[in-house]
Amino acid sequence: MLPLSLLKTAQSHPMLVELKNGETYNGHLVSCDTWMNINLRDVICTSKDGDRFWRMPECYIRGSTIKYLRIPDEVIDMVKEDAQVKSRNRAEMKPRGGVGGGGQNQRGRSGGRNTFANRGGGAGRASSQGNRPLAQGNKIK
Amino acid sequence: MSEKPKGSGGGGGGGDNKEKRRKESILDLSKYLEKTIRVKFAGGREAAGVLKGYDPLLNLVLDNTVEYLRDPDEPFKLAEETRSLGLVVCRGTSVVLICPQDGMESIQNPFIAQDN
Amino acid sequence: MASGLEAYVNSTVSIITADGRNFVGTLKGFDQTINVILDESHERVFSTTSGIEQIVLGLHIIRGDNIAVIGQVDETIDTRLEFASIRGEPLGPVVH
Repeated sequence: MLPLSLLKTAQSHPMLVELKNGETYNGHLVSCDTWMNINLRDVICTSKDGDRFWRMPECYIRGSTIKYLRIPDEVIDMVKEDAQVKSRNRAEMKPRGGVGGGGQNQRGRSGGRNTFANRGGGAGRASSQGNRPLAQGNKIK
Repeated sequence: MSEKPKGSGGGGGGGDNKEKRRKESILDLSKYLEKTIRVKFAGGREAAGVLKGYDPLLNLVLDNTVEYLRDPDEPFKLAEETRSLGLVVCRGTSVVLICPQDGMESIQNPFIAQDN
Repeated sequence: MASGLEAYVNSTVSIITADGRNFVGTLKGFDQTINVILDESHERVFSTTSGIEQIVLGLHIIRGDNIAVIGQVDETIDTRLEFASIRGEPLGPVVH
């Protein structure tokens, strides 16, 4: 799976982006491109030292300045579905045209993931709690 | 000066819509024209100014620009101090972040409240 | 050349980033620039005064230019480690 496909799938989901300068941005992904440039909306910026905060309605971030992105766990399962549908369509190669069909087998893939033991309660569950950003992680012990 | 550049045509026929869209910038700066934007630069400088023009490489023309200075001893903290730069051209390659100044505000730690 | 990373896909890897952090998780994918998808990841924070602290983080995309080292983790050895008793100096950032 390609990192940029995962990122594209994560559009409209909340995420945390840490930049090389140490600042972090919590917001919903609006769009991204092949350079990993991103647009976020409803953003909270946290300073490197973690004690100053700014709210911004939206922002554009140059991809090359990103250190990493934290993405809600469930997004990775959505990529798999996309890829499966695509490859199935390609394999069939029927000139009937258009997307369509293929909706059936899409389900059945989920389950299991959310039952995984230590998926770190709060933080990773951002999308199920509305605007709650992917904040700091949780200690295991 | 402020015309939106046409996506670099090339490529010839074919290519689904997705491919075409990818060529165009995901950032439409025209919506910020004549508005004050905040820009962060590689290396840590920060400025705000009225967007007068731009190009697809993210070079910007800002007017009435104000730079937000930093304390050299604490380079990751913005000092209160500012200095006026007037009309400037920002080099696109060093632009790290762009956001509208309108609606950007310093806030209290929003994460503490949500954890409780 | 196919990157040697292909062999690590879907196994546990340890990544040391340019800022000196250590992420451990399942490698789900990568691209030409070594951007990496790390699933079910956690960060290991080393300290000289207390054991290794593990922080659950979940799904990550780590940018290639921020990655210094990617290594495959031998899980049988890894699960035997007693993190609470391991002390270590935190790494510093890469100096360019």
